[in-house]
Amino acid sequence: MKFTLNWLKQYIDSGLNATELADRLTMAGLEVDSVEALCPDLDGVRVARVASVAPHPNADKLTLCQVEVEGEPRQVVCGAPNVRAGMLTAIALPGTTMPGGFKIKPAKLRGEKSEGMLCSARELGIGGEEGGIMDLPADLEIGAPLVAALDLEDVLVEVDLTPNRPDCASVLGLAREVGGFVGKRMTPPVAGPLPRLTGEGLPFTVTVTDTDCRRYAARLIEGVSIGPSPWWLKQLLLAVGLRPINNVVDVTNLVMLEYGQPLHAFDFARLSGAAIVVRKARPGETMATLDGATRELDSEMLMICDAERPVAVAGVMGGEGSQVTDATTSILLESAYFEPVSIRRTARRLNLSTDSSYRFERGVDPEGIPYALERAARLIVELAGGRLMDNGYDVVGELPGRASLDLRVRRTNELLGLAFSADRIAALLNSIEIATAKMDEETLRVTVPSFRVDLEREVDLVEEVARLHGYNAIPTALPAVPMRFAHRDAGRSLRQQVAAVLTGFGFHEAINYSFTSPAHCDLLGLAADDPARQLVPLVNPLVEDQSVMRSLLLPGLLENLRRNINHQQPDVRLFEVGKVFRHRDHATQPEEMMLLGCVMSGRRHPGASRLHYGEALVDLLDVRGVAEALFGELRLADRLILAADAVLPSYVAAGTGLALAVGATPVGWLGQVAPSVAKAFGIKQDAFYLSLNLDALAACEAAPKRFASLPKFPAVQWDLALVVADGVGGGDLLAAITEAGEQLIERAEIFDIYRGKNIAAGHKSVAIAITYRAEDRTLDDDTVGKVHERIIGLLESRFDAHLREA
Amino acid sequence: MDTLKLETAGRGLAPSLAVKTKCVMEDEILRLKGEATAALGEAGKEDLEPFRVKYLGRKGLFTSVMRQLGSAPAADRPRLGKLANDIKQELTQAFAARQEELGAGRGQGTATRLDLSLPGRVLPRGRLHPVTQVMAEVCAIFEGLGFTVAEGPDVETDFYNFEALNIPPHHPARDMHDTFYVSDALLLRTHTSPMQIRAMEREQPPLRMIAPGKVYRCDSDITHTPMFHQVEGFLVDRQVSFADLKGVLSVFIARMFDADTAIRFRPSFFPFTEPSAEVDIGCVMCGGKGCRVCKQTGWLEILGAGLIDPAVFAKVGYDPEAYSGFAFGLGIERIAMLKYGINDIRLYYENDLRFLSQF
Ligand SMILES: [Zn+2]
Repeated sequence: MKFTLNWLKQYIDSGLNATELADRLTMAGLEVDSVEALCPDLDGVRVARVASVAPHPNADKLTLCQVEVEGEPRQVVCGAPNVRAGMLTAIALPGTTMPGGFKIKPAKLRGEKSEGMLCSARELGIGGEEGGIMDLPADLEIGAPLVAALDLEDVLVEVDLTPNRPDCASVLGLAREVGGFVGKRMTPPVAGPLPRLTGEGLPFTVTVTDTDCRRYAARLIEGVSIGPSPWWLKQLLLAVGLRPINNVVDVTNLVMLEYGQPLHAFDFARLSGAAIVVRKARPGETMATLDGATRELDSEMLMICDAERPVAVAGVMGGEGSQVTDATTSILLESAYFEPVSIRRTARRLNLSTDSSYRFERGVDPEGIPYALERAARLIVELAGGRLMDNGYDVVGELPGRASLDLRVRRTNELLGLAFSADRIAALLNSIEIATAKMDEETLRVTVPSFRVDLEREVDLVEEVARLHGYNAIPTALPAVPMRFAHRDAGRSLRQQVAAVLTGFGFHEAINYSFTSPAHCDLLGLAADDPARQLVPLVNPLVEDQSVMRSLLLPGLLENLRRNINHQQPDVRLFEVGKVFRHRDHATQPEEMMLLGCVMSGRRHPGASRLHYGEALVDLLDVRGVAEALFGELRLADRLILAADAVLPSYVAAGTGLALAVGATPVGWLGQVAPSVAKAFGIKQDAFYLSLNLDALAACEAAPKRFASLPKFPAVQWDLALVVADGVGGGDLLAAITEAGEQLIERAEIFDIYRGKNIAAGHKSVAIAITYRAEDRTLDDDTVGKVHERIIGLLESRFDAHLREA
Repeated sequence: MDTLKLETAGRGLAPSLAVKTKCVMEDEILRLKGEATAALGEAGKEDLEPFRVKYLGRKGLFTSVMRQLGSAPAADRPRLGKLANDIKQELTQAFAARQEELGAGRGQGTATRLDLSLPGRVLPRGRLHPVTQVMAEVCAIFEGLGFTVAEGPDVETDFYNFEALNIPPHHPARDMHDTFYVSDALLLRTHTSPMQIRAMEREQPPLRMIAPGKVYRCDSDITHTPMFHQVEGFLVDRQVSFADLKGVLSVFIARMFDADTAIRFRPSFFPFTEPSAEVDIGCVMCGGKGCRVCKQTGWLEILGAGLIDPAVFAKVGYDPEAYSGFAFGLGIERIAMLKYGINDIRLYYENDLRFLSQF
């Protein structure tokens, strides 16, 4: 809602400057969005009279004007089509800086002297789209500064209204609030008793056939002459962002802004049968609205019709066929109350939001309807002439009544933390025209004024008390609540733990949008029956790339990887913890799963000194290491199973994938992203990925922390080097050793794998260190030697291995 | 000082100290190293030459240890030899450094000095996303006040997101929520307030809870992303007042920002609270003088709050005469922007390492 200070002053003299006013409004819940001077600095722009106009000798489209400002007339070259002798207009004298920064200087234009520039409203930054130079009222003083002459010195204030305060979508409503905080009453332009509208003896009829129209008032004005509005009215509308149209339409717009009551003016001659019928649209009916569109109507849309067809979409927009034109001579003026939900539904269905529908949707003042009508009718007669018929229609159906509410003083004080008396509360409410009657010291009976559609319950009044007193004046306390242990959610703890481990390993955390592109499924090469294709689509996505809920984290992280590579950061470790979604059916909430995705690419030690750590690239064992360490931290390492032979998604490069399970519970996988998939995402370097289902992981029980006595006797380490075929897994050798059932073996570790000189082709030498320890004694060489021999024998027979010659 | 460096370096050179074949020999080498290191650390100028003779000289202890290597098992000899040699070299370097430090150098150092100007050897850690960091901070403050953390589904029903929160169909307040719909009855939650309802349906007062999570609005421009993070909190008990709401939020703001951050509460509107408030803090960018960030007002809106509307209590079967409570909600991205000075909201979801590594 926009208004200007001068406008507000017509109804209340607040004595506040713009800043004070803005601050008070904001603190009263009417948040001021902006405060700006209405017109730019226009020193040097004066009112001027065009004394004569002559053709420019050297240019067809220019004229030579003799212009009176002060002293001798001066010559100005002008290109405006509307310049004429005798008109008053605005001149920017040499030395003036225009709003665009351009400085006016005496000049020669096509050889003719020009001392100044005749200006349009737009050039001066004070008007919208009028063509040509300003055509000013004849009664202005020639030579006077334009700003003073037109009373342009004003401030535009914009208030961001909350949906519960339609009463303040009007300057009068705002004036009432301002009155509340300066202790005054605002003066509306129309007051006192209004003529009774009976509908008798009129040359037209009004019939309301639908209960969505609760009140319909109409007056007829005959003999109007349609023309442009006077300067002050145009200026006011332009200031608040409305386009002036003609004197009648401009008045309806002005009164809408003044009273908050949308009005509509029909060209009476174009109402067939001189009838207004308010009814729902009939099947198949269409109507051309004022914006030029032809609207398909449905049977739930409330229409204003004449005897034959719809002439306006009630409360939303008028029809082209009955609009006021230059030829109009009689006006039928409408002021009505339409059911808010009905208007909102129609506006949404037609995808049309107007100043009118905004107000009707939120609820106009049902008792303000005749006042707004009277005000507009008087103003039209004043500006467009004509005769207002004394009688008119005011069809009143079932209106929202004035609620009478009991406000308990104690309840008010308890809810707010105050200790106010009934009188103090009453005074606050009375300040904004809410009437109260004190029933006793504990109870106020409050009559809710018709314009406050938001006050329906006692608690709404409690809010008014808080608001009028000022939230900041309410004391601050802390609740006395019972001490209680705050339960911790296991899933949330797990996520925090996982994030801590991964950041420790150099991973940065990514957060991607939960919605994504459906094209990802194809980029990943998902099979038609892949569950990740069970996408949850959005009905109204902003863009195609964000039109489905993601079913995997991988695509987002691959896009992040590409972005970083493209920004010269090829060494990437990123993880994301987030939900993915699986469609079930349209009526059921989709399945939501919490996943972890980790992507690794580029150098093994991103961000670390190359001097110290070299340039090695990350490989599969890096991502496996991260997984192992993570499960170790989660105390699940003992039950972690990595299976190379499991079926993995097709976007994992062949032969690189390991399925992860804790005991019998599958929890995820790791592997290299298939190079073809990486390429589809625009990534040319190897990328490795770890995917874990955190919901599944949260259900796994961590191994308890249990102390084991420190060994009392020393360990010994014996090494062995085995030559095996290339296909033999090093890890399998270790597993065979640790699973051999030898009590004395504490640990086995591979410390070297060697191929080349002295090793047969297709073979490798695996050097293993075995640690032996007994609980109860220091081991001697004989004892260790026997076990060591057994192990060697075991490995030789199981893996077709032989000891490497020294 | 030098002792420390020596030890650090030493660790790198002896990869598996703990257990070796014939650990006697290895133990002896390591023991010698420890002894020499300690001695060198305490050595004065006049102790240097005796130290050199005792440990590093031709008849010194290291030389004699290396001579004994012949008795070690053949398989271990190379490794032990290298270990002893490395330690001796290292000690020689440390000795030279100590000499220099004590001003006793002979001007012809046998070893190169440590280059102290080189960067240290470390693998950098990663960072949590700034949104996660701020979220954790917010949650920690309220958890400290005894609030439980609860989470709910991102794809919500119209009932929990709107109707139960006193926003019936065709209510103009739905305009404040640019909603992504999944179907007629399902949508992406526009706030985490549905958790209020879910929790109150499940439990009886007293209740103290916060609900962090992702929320969605179909709005995307330089100041809005279609997904952002919110923390919703609420407290229900007997005799909870607006003054209590002010108190709890003041404590939160003092913790989250500065103890002396200016705060103001002003009336606003949310269908599920009455009275409703917006909470502003004094602009952290300009100190309240007025700047672009605060639109020259000196204030920044950071929270929406209010007393829980009796209509909400009615939906979950609480007696509004017996109980009262307050609720509040705040946007994490906004707080992160203010705390860290982030000026472009789009950066949050591009996951550029140059951004993520700053926090
Ligand atoms: Zn500021």
